[in-house]
Amino acid sequence: MRRLLLRNLACLAAGALLLAPAAARAAGVQIESPVEGATVFGKTEVKAQVFEGAEPVTRVEVYVNGKLVGTVAKPPYTLLFEAGDENIQRELKVVAYGASGVAGSATRVFKPLQIDDTMDLKLQQLFITVNRGQERALDLDQGDFRIADNGKQQQIVTFGKGELPLTAVLLLDTSESMQGERLQGVRRGATAFLQGMKPLDEAAVVMFSDRLLQLTPFSEDKSVLAHALATTQAAGGTAVNDFLYMSLKLLEPRLGRRVVVLLSDGDDVHSVVPMSEVLWKSRTGQAMIYWIQLEGGEKHHSFASAWRNAKDNDKEYDTLAKAVLESGGRIQRIDKVAEIESAFRGILQELREQYVIGYYPTDVRKDGRWHDVRVDVQRFGVRVRTRDGYVDF
Amino acid sequence: MIPHRFLVPHPRLPARVAASAVLALVCAAGAVRAQEPVDPFANPGAVTATPGQSGHGSRRDTSDAIQNRYRQILAAWAAGQTEKAAIDLMALESSVVRDDDSGSRKRILKAEEAVIHEIGAANLETLVPVAMLHHDVYRRYLQHGTKGHALLLIHARGMARDLAILYKEQSGSEGAALVSSRILTSLGGMLQQYAQQLPAAEMFYQAVTLDPRNTAAMMSLCIIYEKNSQYETAVEMLHKILALDPGYSEAQLRLALNQKRLGRTDEARKGLEQLAAAKEATWVTSLAAQELARLLSEKGSLAGAQKVLEAAIQRFPDEARLYVELAAVLDRKGEMRGAQAVMAKVLTLKPSTQDSSRLLYNTTRQETFAEARRFLDENARSRLSLLAEALSVPNHATIAADKVGS
Repeated sequence: MRRLLLRNLACLAAGALLLAPAAARAAGVQIESPVEGATVFGKTEVKAQVFEGAEPVTRVEVYVNGKLVGTVAKPPYTLLFEAGDENIQRELKVVAYGASGVAGSATRVFKPLQIDDTMDLKLQQLFITVNRGQERALDLDQGDFRIADNGKQQQIVTFGKGELPLTAVLLLDTSESMQGERLQGVRRGATAFLQGMKPLDEAAVVMFSDRLLQLTPFSEDKSVLAHALATTQAAGGTAVNDFLYMSLKLLEPRLGRRVVVLLSDGDDVHSVVPMSEVLWKSRTGQAMIYWIQLEGGEKHHSFASAWRNAKDNDKEYDTLAKAVLESGGRIQRIDKVAEIESAFRGILQELREQYVIGYYPTDVRKDGRWHDVRVDVQRFGVRVRTRDGYVDF
Repeated sequence: MIPHRFLVPHPRLPARVAASAVLALVCAAGAVRAQEPVDPFANPGAVTATPGQSGHGSRRDTSDAIQNRYRQILAAWAAGQTEKAAIDLMALESSVVRDDDSGSRKRILKAEEAVIHEIGAANLETLVPVAMLHHDVYRRYLQHGTKGHALLLIHARGMARDLAILYKEQSGSEGAALVSSRILTSLGGMLQQYAQQLPAAEMFYQAVTLDPRNTAAMMSLCIIYEKNSQYETAVEMLHKILALDPGYSEAQLRLALNQKRLGRTDEARKGLEQLAAAKEATWVTSLAAQELARLLSEKGSLAGAQKVLEAAIQRFPDEARLYVELAAVLDRKGEMRGAQAVMAKVLTLKPSTQDSSRLLYNTTRQETFAEARRFLDENARSRLSLLAEALSVPNHATIAADKVGS
């Protein structure tokens, strides 16, 4: 658990780097990532800018605490290395070499994480999708955004464009109605999502029906996740609420960009947790929920069960839709199994093209009240989607 | 004597109404499509009947041929050739009955009716194995799928049901009521398996009318009442079931949950507490704990809900849902770290291979009808010799056919 927390704090810090003021430039070399003050654990990406002097740069070496961890021969000078899990101070040194020897270097020191301090962190992160017509608007800058929290303008402290690592739960309805071609489609779609994940992204696969059929831990290892997908068979009824609640709980201790991708061809029938509680859970967290609704059509069909009458089931459905939209995610209705894969790809693409904005709310009271969040973009003809707000909890 | 009203719609359940209701359901589901002229069930042994065939003589010949074939099939059934008899009857019926010819069912009905009239007159008890043959054929039609066979399904089910009712009405004995009630229960079970709630409810209702001690039909009816939000009626039925079988734990659970829905939370809580504390760890026990925790949670007793769920997890350590519910309760209490610790345990669980208690509650399980079907099999088997005997008497159709042949 501690390891997870530390990794996520590292992710959060990585998100902050994108707006961080440029570090003091060492002669010929500038470390862009990790930023000053970040916490370095686990897989870490080093990015450096090298400004050539009189002679061309032949290679760049990266050292951590004096130990060579990798060499890059040509631009971009980006290196992924395993920093380990020890909560210790790390000195990162990037050395550029020319034909005649050392051309320049830069050093940055990363202190160990103070866990008690970071638990009080109340940074609100918004993941914002901006469209201009049918296209994504990718040319916006920090200055284009205005954030209002309960009507009060907020100061943006972090700003980034989509490359923040993500932690996803692929929540896949594997009930009996998903047998055969549909399950194959789900496997293909989820695999496409996993294949599109980048280093530092993590995912867990949850396959459910009226019971839990498969649950993997969060992992970057695509083969582990793919194995889970391949070996689970469809059976049973549908309990969306229970396992959506579970997914949100699993994401709760993680920081950074968190997302649940729910794929289902039906409504909840068998859950014990009402959707109103899932909505509350979603409001207290920061995870986005995407709902791929297989063969959902335009209209929800009412039904009654021994658990709820048709009216109450309709309410559950509406509340789920509300939770999805409030979270800043969206509902994608698809009519054919063949569209599942592109739906997953589309969601991953959307996540990559989001703006990531962080701010410290000026009026935090921990009173359980709803905070309305409004994001305005100072450009003509754009549509903005992000979470509607959060519960101050 | 077989009355003239044989196979006339029953006053409580008009056959045509039930048939049209089923047909409407099938049509609504888009199951009925334009039919190809080739019948998928046809085989060389079938009797060919062309829709709209004209001429009094040819109709008579066809009817006689159907009757003869039907007699042969019944003889095979009586001889214990159950597989052959059922397949042959399907072939015969499907060679005559077509969904695009609404009059086609009448032809097979009249021919079969004529044979049954004769053997029933010889011995009323023969109606039981004949009903069971049609019951078996109905099951097989369902397994084949309803597409293109709506009238066949209606016919097979109608035959089994009407024979059951006729047998009871003509016999008047308590034993006949038991047999008839179980035939209807089994038919209702098959209908429910294929999600046809209304016709299933009618079957169960009649089954309970014939035998007010038929708890399988009563419980099945009760589940339909629940699904239709008729909680008060369900409670009444459940009290009757528990009066007959006080130890029926599923009935106790349903009673408690329906009481809860009606706002009688004190009664519901008492019932759920007893079930959750039961010695035997069954799906009913687990579900009682889940619902008791839910009730307590809704009443604001989060500590009580927590206690119930923690105890349930001790008994059902592999049930992920109990952990999720407990995490939700702890979240509500503001114990986020405790909730996280609970969720961490979920990650260690093995995938579940059994239907959840909540699914079982929402389903009429076919095991419910196992006893009824066993009872029917025994009763039908014991009467096969009577059927063989009744069939050995020369009949009008055979004599007529012989005359034509000579």
